[in-house]
Amino acid sequence: MLAFILRRLLTLIPLLLGVTLLVFLLMSLAPGDFLTPVKMQRDVPTELIAELEREFGLDRPWYVQYGYWLGNVLQLNFGYSWSFKVPVTDLIGSRLFATFLLSLTSLLFAWCIAIPLGVLAAIYKDSIFDRLSSFLAYAALSIPEFFLALLAVWFAAVTGIFPIGGATSIEHEFLSFGGRVLDRLHHLVLPTIVLGIGGIAGLMRIMRANFLDAIRADYVQTARAKGVPEGWVMFKHVLRNAINPLVSAFGFSFSSLLSGALIVEIVMNYPGLGNLIYHSLLREDQFVVLAAIMLSCTMLVLGNLLADICLAWSDPRIRLESHD
Amino acid sequence: MRTHRLLISGLACFACFLLFACSRPPSPLAELPEAPLPEDAEIAPFPPGQHGAIFVTTMPGDINTLNPLISEDAASGAAISRFLEGLTTLDPETGEIIPRLAKSWEISPDGLQFTFHLRRGVVWSDGHPFTADDVVFTWRDAFYAKQTDPSTGHPVVDPETGRARLRFPSRPAFFQMIEGQEVQVEALDSHTVRFTLPQVYAPFLLFGGGQDILPKHILERHIADGTLLDAWSINTAIHRPRELVGLGAFLLESYRPGERVVFRRNPNYWRRDSEGQRLPYIERIVTRIVGDANASNVAFAQGLTDAEGLQADNVTWISRAAETQDFTIHDLGPSNSTSFVWFNLNAGISPEGRPFIPPHKLAWFSDQRFRQAVSYAVNRQGIVDGVFAGRASPLHGYVSPKNRNWHNPDVRRYPFDLARARALLAEAGFAMRGARLHDAQGNPVEFALMTNNNNNLRTEMATVFAESMAALGIRVELQFIDFNTIIRRTSESFNYEACLLGLGGGAPDPYASKDILMSDGRLHFWNPAQPRPATEWEARIDDLMRLIGRELDPEKRRAAFFEVQEIMAEQQPLIFLVTSNEYVGLRNRWQNVKPTPLGGVLWNLDALWARPN
Repeated sequence: MLAFILRRLLTLIPLLLGVTLLVFLLMSLAPGDFLTPVKMQRDVPTELIAELEREFGLDRPWYVQYGYWLGNVLQLNFGYSWSFKVPVTDLIGSRLFATFLLSLTSLLFAWCIAIPLGVLAAIYKDSIFDRLSSFLAYAALSIPEFFLALLAVWFAAVTGIFPIGGATSIEHEFLSFGGRVLDRLHHLVLPTIVLGIGGIAGLMRIMRANFLDAIRADYVQTARAKGVPEGWVMFKHVLRNAINPLVSAFGFSFSSLLSGALIVEIVMNYPGLGNLIYHSLLREDQFVVLAAIMLSCTMLVLGNLLADICLAWSDPRIRLESHD
Repeated sequence: MRTHRLLISGLACFACFLLFACSRPPSPLAELPEAPLPEDAEIAPFPPGQHGAIFVTTMPGDINTLNPLISEDAASGAAISRFLEGLTTLDPETGEIIPRLAKSWEISPDGLQFTFHLRRGVVWSDGHPFTADDVVFTWRDAFYAKQTDPSTGHPVVDPETGRARLRFPSRPAFFQMIEGQEVQVEALDSHTVRFTLPQVYAPFLLFGGGQDILPKHILERHIADGTLLDAWSINTAIHRPRELVGLGAFLLESYRPGERVVFRRNPNYWRRDSEGQRLPYIERIVTRIVGDANASNVAFAQGLTDAEGLQADNVTWISRAAETQDFTIHDLGPSNSTSFVWFNLNAGISPEGRPFIPPHKLAWFSDQRFRQAVSYAVNRQGIVDGVFAGRASPLHGYVSPKNRNWHNPDVRRYPFDLARARALLAEAGFAMRGARLHDAQGNPVEFALMTNNNNNLRTEMATVFAESMAALGIRVELQFIDFNTIIRRTSESFNYEACLLGLGGGAPDPYASKDILMSDGRLHFWNPAQPRPATEWEARIDDLMRLIGRELDPEKRRAAFFEVQEIMAEQQPLIFLVTSNEYVGLRNRWQNVKPTPLGGVLWNLDALWARPN
């Protein structure tokens, strides 16, 4: 087990090297750099631009810049944001929480809806409920996320029930403790639904298919023959066996915890990491972009690892050493 | 049951997480000591009001920093200007330079020495007295500090320029040098500062005097440990807002990245009303950060904010809500933003040995009559009506009419007149062959016009421009491309024929335009950074601009700048199109509102008041 985890973590190194190299190359191929817009401002002295170019290393070829950056990263120094002038880690840290919270609530939302729906659809297979729920699931799956986000913003604007964008209201600081929690939750409702709804369909279909497979298994027959109550059969035996693929799906969700909300954050003006990354990319604030990409890469690998470990834990038939 | 327990513990973790997040204590500015009103407190010329209201605004885009040395973007600049102040400022009503933290000043007869008398009794927001030491600190210790070699202790010299390297290279540090030389700053007594200039520099009273003063007692330690450029970052704003000590009307109270900035009134501000009440009246300014200007405009139309700069194309639909949401839209007339087309006049040769533009095209572009003909053929009113729905004004010269003190209204104008355009072209040897215009050598006249693709108004103006040219038989190929590519092509590779861009933010002093107007300037769009002026008229503009830089008599400066505008209009190196009008919406509950074209609606924010909500 330990060897397996170590091996997985070691694959991170070439992966991160390759990805960051590619990002560096692409950003250097893109026209202009961080200082280009500054050059168009009339009150910026030419000497300052030259000074900054030297300080940022933008006057050197990209592979030299990459070398310096890599050297710093090896010393765990992820660099400074050029526009914010604070360490990239601080900057990302300040936005991490909001994104993490949103991803978590939407994950919870998707799971809490998808699993019961999938189970019910399987139990009442081919009923009107089954048809209706899969119709709705496919409808939700086929609406692009950004469009749904726009719809949500429109809904909020027209009805006024939910706030338009943001993560807290302007009175937040003056509310009681309970008020602050409610305020945050109130702001989370719409982004959570938008982000979560796309995941429901997939999860639900997997759940339904697995549940159907499991229902037909011999042990179910046996249990029923023994006289075990039907509810007990379904939830104690069938569900436990049917949930395995969802555990690996959970690993994938974990990998998108920090990067999956980008579009929703931008459209709904949610103050998270996605918003920061998007603006840094537009502004060509190199080190912020690199750190964000490294973070998503690492989360992806860790997510897969976690999924495998969870699988091994929940299903004793799986042995990690044997299948790599 | 294991699943159950897992689920419950998961939910519990999540709840703890949420609780933890919300239990982070808000960071209210605990009551600050309130010093007595300064003896030199300025009396605001407005009827007395009532304290306590909250002012809500939005801004498109987040702040990047609160450190004036490194601030580059508009949002950060606006936030900084809430809590820092300079010695002088520009009067938004008259356009003259008026006292701010300095109550008066003298200029020596040779124009080299400026002596400022500071207001007595003024204290920083934390109660620490404001003295001449703070001014000297700002200039000498913060801006002009030199890098020293740790081994020898000598200043580090830049091998390229031969000058000592700055310890904290920043925009104000370079900006506050005159031709690369420092200004000597000394404190004559606790409330008198003398600036000695290396040479006569006419805009000093505005540019030097308007410099924000930094608090010595707060930033000293950042100079000592060399972290001045890292100080006052967003980390400070999030965790330690009390360190952001200022002399402005407001103080940062809290900042949530990507969400909002909250300012609170400075209890130690140095202005009062005629009844002796301390300004400002507004208790808090809550500024929500939104995605873009449109979202910001929408929030205002819904009655969520108190004031908003409206985009010209949004004015019509927003004005429909004026009655229900109880606001007024103030039309401030032409804005400072200008838009123009220019031709590449660079006669140089690229590193590959090819001319930047084909010689026959350079011959057209360099011909004054060709540029004038193009200018006559542009239907400016058509752009105003078609692109801006009437919410813009035709622009005829380099200075927008908004800048009344420096705008020359009598420059040559180019009203829409195709007959004159054709006559000028005929005079220059162009002739129509079929539906197309050809030059004397028989080349069909056509050129490519580029503008940035993320600005709708510009792409639409470029389209109208191309249609106007079609009426002359000139074919214009439109190129809508990325802004960074445009900058590269206009300032590095010179691989383009014509370009449409704009300038925003009017310069309060003509000398701020030297990089655009002077032939060696970096932003001399049509032919930048010339070693020697390529034409006589450019040489004349150079002379006039140098005069504007060193002449102290306002009348002579104005005369010189008027001549610059005349030359620009005669030569048409920049073919000006239109300037959009400026609209600001403000809710009717605010009192003491006095909009001016130069200052807008919020220039007297410290005197605005409303009944507390």
